[in-house]
Amino acid sequence: MTRALLGAAGLAGSLMLGTTLAFAQVSEIRMIEAGGPSGESIEVGYIKPFTEKTGIRVVRENPAGLGKVRAMVESRNVTAPITELSSSELEQAKALDLLDPLDWDAIDPAPIYEEAIDEYGLGWQYYSTIMAWREGEKPLTSWADMWDVDNFPGARSFPDYPNYILPMALLADGVPVEELYPLDMDRAFAKLEEIKDHVAVWWEAGAQPPQLLQDNEVQYVAAWSGRVTDVEGVEYTFEQGQLDLTYFAIPKGASEEAKEAVYQLMHVMTIAENQAAAADIVSYTGPSQDLDPLLPQDRITKYPTVQQNRDVQFFIDAQWWFDNAEEVELRWQEFKLGL
Amino acid sequence: MAGNVEVAHRVQPTSSRLTLPKLGEGFAQVVPALILILLLFNVPLVIMLGWSFYPLETPLANYEQIFTRSIYLKVIGNTFYIAALTTVACCLLGYPLCYWMWRLSPRWRLIIASIVVLTFWVSILVRTYAWIVILGNDGIVNRLLLTWGLIDSSVSFLYNQTGVIIGTTNVLLPFLVLPLFAAMMRLDRRILLAAETLGAPKGVIFWKIFFPLTLPSLAAGAILIFILTLGFFITPAILGGGRVPMIANMMDLLINRLPRWELAAAISGVLLVFTMIFFAGYQWLNNRQQAS
Amino acid sequence: MVSSRDARRKAPAAGSWTDSVGSWATTVVAVSVLLFLALPILVVIPMSFSSAEALTFPPPGFSLRWYESFFGDARWLQAARTSIIVAVASSTLAAVFGSAAAYGLVRGNWFGRGAIEANFLLPLIVPQVITALALYMYFARLGILGTLPGLIMGHTVLGLPYVVLIMTVAIRSFDVRIEQVALSLGSSWSRMFVSVVLPNLAPSLAAAWLFAFVISFDEVIITFFLAGAHETIPKRMFNELMLQVNPTITAIATLLISISIITISTLALLARRSGLLR
Repeated sequence: MTRALLGAAGLAGSLMLGTTLAFAQVSEIRMIEAGGPSGESIEVGYIKPFTEKTGIRVVRENPAGLGKVRAMVESRNVTAPITELSSSELEQAKALDLLDPLDWDAIDPAPIYEEAIDEYGLGWQYYSTIMAWREGEKPLTSWADMWDVDNFPGARSFPDYPNYILPMALLADGVPVEELYPLDMDRAFAKLEEIKDHVAVWWEAGAQPPQLLQDNEVQYVAAWSGRVTDVEGVEYTFEQGQLDLTYFAIPKGASEEAKEAVYQLMHVMTIAENQAAAADIVSYTGPSQDLDPLLPQDRITKYPTVQQNRDVQFFIDAQWWFDNAEEVELRWQEFKLGL
Repeated sequence: MAGNVEVAHRVQPTSSRLTLPKLGEGFAQVVPALILILLLFNVPLVIMLGWSFYPLETPLANYEQIFTRSIYLKVIGNTFYIAALTTVACCLLGYPLCYWMWRLSPRWRLIIASIVVLTFWVSILVRTYAWIVILGNDGIVNRLLLTWGLIDSSVSFLYNQTGVIIGTTNVLLPFLVLPLFAAMMRLDRRILLAAETLGAPKGVIFWKIFFPLTLPSLAAGAILIFILTLGFFITPAILGGGRVPMIANMMDLLINRLPRWELAAAISGVLLVFTMIFFAGYQWLNNRQQAS
Repeated sequence: MVSSRDARRKAPAAGSWTDSVGSWATTVVAVSVLLFLALPILVVIPMSFSSAEALTFPPPGFSLRWYESFFGDARWLQAARTSIIVAVASSTLAAVFGSAAAYGLVRGNWFGRGAIEANFLLPLIVPQVITALALYMYFARLGILGTLPGLIMGHTVLGLPYVVLIMTVAIRSFDVRIEQVALSLGSSWSRMFVSVVLPNLAPSLAAAWLFAFVISFDEVIITFFLAGAHETIPKRMFNELMLQVNPTITAIATLLISISIITISTLALLARRSGLLR
């Protein structure tokens, strides 16, 4: 009832905006996004319906990164009013005062999960960091198994990003999920020291782990879910996976007209049907609460947020990673120099 | 008048200060390119280096951080180490190739030089991935070695320092070979012929005449390779398996991920000073070579 | 003039057995080095005709699917078009500005020449990430970020050092007296340059242009920062590699190799008289 009222108000609001902005409306906006299949999914799932509805074209630019946002803001020339940020990047961007707050009334989102609604960002895509292995290897069920090179022999490949592997090291060391944060950095690095001789590759590009498995270069990997769940000859588990959310935000100083267009686009992104279309392109999911039944049932286990997968995973604490970003990165580099 | 100019040019290499030719001769030709580079490179670079002194209250804080937190210097040191190894590899591989090319008939010379040039056309990215196919655990080389029974288990060529050096050497070798080969071609063959006529053995001719004459070009090429390796980004990222941190990768982190531009700018400043020192060496060798 | 080959043929009587061992060893080493250089090409070409989904060697079967995937994808073709436009424009600009500057640097004799020459080479020695960030900020302020002219300017700056480097060496070895004869016969400088200097330096100029072209064509980092929504082949390749190793890139590499073989053969035929690498 309340929602319906709010919705009606929002609709009326946007209609009014539509009329007042009729001649101030932009004909094209630029978006900075990560590229790859995720970019394709944005094109198909969100840009297409958005352009059909509003007539505004969206030009995608990639790759994304905090550097580009900072450059746009500092040069006072926001060429792309909508930009993709990872959860920890979002926190960093807020601290550096690089973003404008979102007008959630203008976005008027369809029902989405709470964590996707941030004052400065719309969480639009979930992805997980999970365990995967070559078909025929002994299946893993926990990070402790991943660390157990005697019972699960084979070379490993881990991310060259501390935020996707330090929490796993602690889980492997027996820290319960609920006590993970604040992370005990010393303990995590000590645990990583134990296994580093068995890690053949610290990967940087998401495409590396599946390729390494196929090449038989390594037998076990920690990888982003969308990269391994659809690959032939690769098995995986969402057990103890780290769930993360990536955001869209508005760089500080974007024009009001551009923002209006962005809000409309963001609204389109919250609709379950559109998210299902996007999830068809890549096995990542949007934040809609109504999404699960719309996903292709034969592929349902591949998606990070379907209930059975959501239950066995844990959520990243972006705030902690922001608070400790620089120290962690420096220690990470030092750790790697010792390799 | 022409005679005047000629005199000026003749004495130019040895004592340019003694004769004053038409002031600014040749300057007009330099101006357009100079404006271009000043506006499109120097100005942006200076603005950017200015960043390294932010915040202005503590202008040297970033530099202090570089020199107190050892990780930055270690990564710079590691980069120099990789660059040195790549340089040595390029020299050891490139020189024999050039010498061999130099002794070929003009037709073969052209063919071989073309093959060297061809490698330029394959993107660094593609070449990097090709090495994975060639040298990986399941790659061509390991499979051959295994079938021939030369090894019992796969040799790890990749995802370590060796992998990075194979990658950088493969990409940079033509940058040494082409100029060095051109320098060899400019050698006056009559000198060598004279020595030969006088009955000097070939080994002696090579070590006493040919090699010393081409050494400056080799050295110049080596410094070029060294400097070019410093900026490598993709090869260490993919073939290093994350084990071989180099400056460009660290810069990427500081610029795109953290983003600590002030620190990145300060590291750029430090790096710039180092490269300038090496470049001064390159200039000096080049000038010496021209003088001889 | 007697070529060294003729000289060698006559030499064996004077040489000892170490000579033949030495030249035999040189050949073995040189051919191995050449193989090392060419190895990536030798695996890339067959893989481009592979029927496999991933990069595998030897290919399990023959197919043209990766060529189809290139020619059938409007975005690849658009990327190719952008790459060619940017590379041709920037390398030509670099060749024109750079060779004129090289001439001035070699023939001129004024104070500060060395410093200016060094300055031209700076873009080569400053790591590209630094240049990329500096240009990004600067272009953003000038409002040319993400435009094709901006990208071309960035690439021109990168190509310039190679042109200056190659052309100064070439012009230094060119006899200045020939120019003086032309000038003393009443020719203007520009006419002399076009009709006397250029034809003689054509092979070097071609090499310099080629270097600049290749540098632009293979550039990733600066393009990432400056290109905005424009996509070049390497940029798209890099993005593709980030998501999945797609053999389409081997098809593109093979196409480029074929194009360059044709170009080089044509150049070789044209330049037969003067000899390619002067």
